[in-house]
Amino acid sequence: MPLLETVGVKVRFGGNVALDDVSISIEPGSITGLIGPNGAGKTTLFNAITGLQSVSSGSVMLNGKDVTKFAPHKRARLGLARTFQRLELFTSLSVRDNIRVAGEIRNRWKSIGGGRMDATAEADRIIDLVGLRDVADREVGEIPTGNARVVELARALMIQPSLLLLDEPASGQTEDETEAFGKLLRKLAAEDGLGICLVEHDMDLVMNVCETIHVLEFGRIISSGSAEHVRTDPVVIDAYLGAPESVG
Amino acid sequence: MQQFVQYTILGLVLGGVYFIAASGLVVTYTTSGIFNFSQGAIAMLAAFTYWQLRWGWGWPAPIALLVVLGVLAPALGAVLYQVVMKNLRGTSEVTKIVVSVGVMLGFLALATWVWNPTASSPRNFQKFFGANAIVEIFGVRITWHEIISFVLALGIAAGIRFLFVRTRSGVAMRAVVDDPELLELNGGRPERLATISWAGGAFLAALAGILITPITGSSMSANALTLLVIDAFAAAMFGRLKSLPRTFVGAIVLGLTNYYVVAYFPSSWTWTSAFRQSIPMIMLFIILIILPQDRLRGTTVLRTRERFHMPTMRTAWIAALVLVVVMFSLQTIMQPSPMKTLAYGMTLAMIALSLVLLTGLAGEINLAALSFGAIGTIVVFHFGTTGSGLDARMTLWGIVLASLVCAVVGAVVALPALRLRGLYLALATMAFGVFVSKMVLSEGNPRRLFGRDFTIFPGGTLRIPRPKIGPVDFNSDKAFLTLVTVLFALLAIGLVAIRHSGYGRRLAAMKDSPAACATLGMSVVRLKLSVFMLSAAVAGLGGVLMSAQLGAVSAERFDIFLSLSLLMVTVVGGIGYASGALLAGLFLGCSLLAMTNTLTKLGADYASIQAIFAFMISAVTVLPATIGITMGKNPSGAVTDIVKGLNDIKQARPLMFTIIGFEVGIWLLTATDVLTNWNFVILTAINLLVVPPLGGAIMKKRAYAKAGVAPPTPAEFIGIDRAYTQLDLDEMESVLGFDALGVAAPVLHEGEPAHAPA
Amino acid sequence: MSTNISASHFSSHDGNGPLLELAGVRASYGPIEVLHGVDLVVPQGSVVALLGPNGAGKSTILKVCSGLLQPTAGEVRVAGRVINGATADQLARLGLCTIPEGKGVFPNLTVRENLWMATMAGVSLSDVEEIAYARFPRLGERRKQLAGTMSGGEQQMLSMARALSVNPALLLLDELSMGLAPLVVANLYEIVAQVSEEGVSILVSEQFARTVLGIAHYAAIVLHGNVTRVGTPAELEDELSAAYLGS
Repeated sequence: MPLLETVGVKVRFGGNVALDDVSISIEPGSITGLIGPNGAGKTTLFNAITGLQSVSSGSVMLNGKDVTKFAPHKRARLGLARTFQRLELFTSLSVRDNIRVAGEIRNRWKSIGGGRMDATAEADRIIDLVGLRDVADREVGEIPTGNARVVELARALMIQPSLLLLDEPASGQTEDETEAFGKLLRKLAAEDGLGICLVEHDMDLVMNVCETIHVLEFGRIISSGSAEHVRTDPVVIDAYLGAPESVG
Repeated sequence: MQQFVQYTILGLVLGGVYFIAASGLVVTYTTSGIFNFSQGAIAMLAAFTYWQLRWGWGWPAPIALLVVLGVLAPALGAVLYQVVMKNLRGTSEVTKIVVSVGVMLGFLALATWVWNPTASSPRNFQKFFGANAIVEIFGVRITWHEIISFVLALGIAAGIRFLFVRTRSGVAMRAVVDDPELLELNGGRPERLATISWAGGAFLAALAGILITPITGSSMSANALTLLVIDAFAAAMFGRLKSLPRTFVGAIVLGLTNYYVVAYFPSSWTWTSAFRQSIPMIMLFIILIILPQDRLRGTTVLRTRERFHMPTMRTAWIAALVLVVVMFSLQTIMQPSPMKTLAYGMTLAMIALSLVLLTGLAGEINLAALSFGAIGTIVVFHFGTTGSGLDARMTLWGIVLASLVCAVVGAVVALPALRLRGLYLALATMAFGVFVSKMVLSEGNPRRLFGRDFTIFPGGTLRIPRPKIGPVDFNSDKAFLTLVTVLFALLAIGLVAIRHSGYGRRLAAMKDSPAACATLGMSVVRLKLSVFMLSAAVAGLGGVLMSAQLGAVSAERFDIFLSLSLLMVTVVGGIGYASGALLAGLFLGCSLLAMTNTLTKLGADYASIQAIFAFMISAVTVLPATIGITMGKNPSGAVTDIVKGLNDIKQARPLMFTIIGFEVGIWLLTATDVLTNWNFVILTAINLLVVPPLGGAIMKKRAYAKAGVAPPTPAEFIGIDRAYTQLDLDEMESVLGFDALGVAAPVLHEGEPAHAPA
Repeated sequence: MSTNISASHFSSHDGNGPLLELAGVRASYGPIEVLHGVDLVVPQGSVVALLGPNGAGKSTILKVCSGLLQPTAGEVRVAGRVINGATADQLARLGLCTIPEGKGVFPNLTVRENLWMATMAGVSLSDVEEIAYARFPRLGERRKQLAGTMSGGEQQMLSMARALSVNPALLLLDELSMGLAPLVVANLYEIVAQVSEEGVSILVSEQFARTVLGIAHYAAIVLHGNVTRVGTPAELEDELSAAYLGS
């Protein structure tokens, strides 16, 4: 059973259709890429999946359960976590506390099942895992964007999700950072069986780590498949370069 | 039938005036994003000014109207925006609310200053053409004033529509709401539009104030007039602060309900008049319940300008200990009356602490902290005392029960508004505050409840004894001061402990990004509710002790304006810190009193210049509001500066020892009755305020001498003390921004030789 | 400064020097620097295209030029005059027209009201309407419709109508094609080409490189907050695919 399935999701803003009949599914342990020109509806799709944006029609299924009407926090409790393109860090907390508090939030809703964690220890583990040791005790507003995006990833990992949505995690990162980041994602997918969906403009990263790539344009999926398939698909090249003929 | 027509017409008229006031709110809110809490105070000021011109100085009505509505009110609005509101960009919602509340309190203080409320002859505010200018319509007699009011309301509605549709500035105001940046790119000036809209908003407030004052027949009381126009909040809220047609509907419903209640409630119901006064606030509450939920959004401001640093637990313990020791040393030298004042200040500080918890930690607002104190006091009065007469004591269980009840009441008040933005919670608490003042604290009549006769607030005054906990009696002034100081210290430590706990971090996270919290699985509403209940309990506790300190409390002690002052002073002190609360409580409870007392005493001693001291007393009462208004410039509060100053002093050991030495000396002299209490206060103030900068300057000079360099010459003495250098000129140019003026004062630079990109 | 200054105030600069020039421009959002010393020149009467992937800094360059963002270092010169410190509305009234990314219209204003806002640059409403409806008859049919309820293409027409009618000296276009169908984009760029032929200097940022290369005289590739390559479209064509999709 897929971790996530969207079935014919449609989102309207006033008269504009932001998403039209979008159906994707994500399996455990896989990395899926979501690419497309600016304004194609990638972030809107993430918002629809996480419940920050209500859908006009279609449904969102998590682990086979229909969560279309669920509030965001109820969906998160089913194992869904995400990061934000426009950073949503807790600016009054340090890097370490940004990560630790996520564990503490999780402990509140996990306490019934007895699955509480030692948030402090877990935060330390995650900080080492993602490589934030050097900046762990700094104010989150002072660190570079590249690092800040990793803080968002670390924070999301703290709730031990089964599905992770990453919105442009590599923008603002240096080339070396992006490479390390790609390795980390593969590790998370392979070792922890995490399902990952990635919106990204850094094509090297997307092509390297994603098994499946969906291309969105004007709120519709215009192409899906492997990196090789998408890269050579004339429809995609047109969408990106806007040329009437393809270059093959 | 005739009664129905009569009351319908009166209701329409009142609704029309509400609409005028509410439309002003909508216009300013949409163009500047600031909810103008001072709308009511502007209306009040206008009414007083008009009274002064028209009847005080006997000007003809048209000229007085022209001056007030055509000149003074718009100018006030424009100045308000340019001087105060413009600086609020990038501040949190809390700061925005507090600043406009500060403006309101400032105007109130100003009005009581200029128009002495205890003047010998009552101010008589008449309707246009007098109360006897009456016409008969449908067999009903109405005054010309009422007709004019309603016609004006319709005219304003049409006028605003015309402005927004048919004039370029009006269309531009709507454009600002859509996209201010794009308007700038079009060549528009959003700042200027905001100024115009504030001028217009003030005009509408002033008009409403002049129309409503004689309609409701209220006496010219600044507070009452201000509250009267605040009633229009409900109408504006019905339009979600955006839609003028809906605002109109809301206003008319409000006006009609108001008069139908008078007409159709049985005259035997003794609470009808109180209920009528509370209608707008009850409606505001209902509207908040039915408004659809806000979408969870990300942070709108990238980083707010407010910064609070977390003290460590060790610092908290030390500070708490210092506080207790200082208070203990003080009480050994103090006479009873200043000690009472100090204890009162400490109880206010405790209530302010509830605001630090709610606002500083969780980013939510409570505008009626003292109303929770009132609820707690009522609970203690009925269920929390033993003994009678001089032997009456408050019980521990009474205190606990009062806090619990406050928490529950807090939940009921907050729940409908928690789904919405912070502003709505603020308004809900304000509605609650006014409701408590008008309907609960005025309940002097016995009611039958569950077969028992019961009076909520008998006789307009409640006698609240001081507590006795176990064997320890806190009845004496000294014991009580110790109790409240220790309690405050413990609560403050608790607050810091919360900040260091997982709960505190979750609150901070929620304050910073509700959207991120929700996607991590947090139920944001539940967390908000918990912190509001906790805060209400602390406010209730503080309120109970405040009542115990005062001994006998009347409804005025819980006035909404007092709650607002406390919030404002706390924000000025530093809403992120327990020390901010302490500062606020002591300032509001003691310093203000001390200053006015000192000035009154001086006035009595030097009768010839008493007028000057009277003026200074008035100036002092405006002081807190004035400080509040400047919040936009330093939104993190005074404590931030004080802590910085303390750190500087800590670096400068000699200075620190000098100050401590002085203070111990003063204390010894007072303890041995050489100095009086007031001299102690004055000398302490001098020691704390004057010595640090003076000592700092001396030490700096020494440091320069030691390093063997000349101290930098202040800019104004360059050229006098020493000659100008090229370096000075360059610096001055860069300070004045000559090199960056560009278009405004064209400094033509020779373009570099053109090199085409190739 | 009064609003009725000649719309082409800047073009009074004589000679064939560059109309727009950026020299060592740095800019930041808060503590994060996004432009690290950009040098760029738009010669009088030419079309210069800024190309590069998202987040590279193209929009920021345009923001700095339009006055919405103040550079932290370096100089921006229009017609030889340093405009650092000038606000966006001042520049707009001096003959600089900016069509921002993807949101060039006020959604809750009607078509006509949107055009009315364009008159703040110092032209009359009747002129603006005449030019707009002549070029885009569809707008004429919908003058009372709220702009937000129109299709993306029609909205972009509306924002282009402003560019046409205020007769600017310098036109800044940010991601004209965002979210639009290729055919619409092609039409819009035809209009841009016509505007250019009238002598207006144009700086355009575009992620769909090919759509703009046909009309651009020069192109600059922007990567990581720097202009990494400047050249004619022919020179750059081969490098584009690598810049966008990786190699």
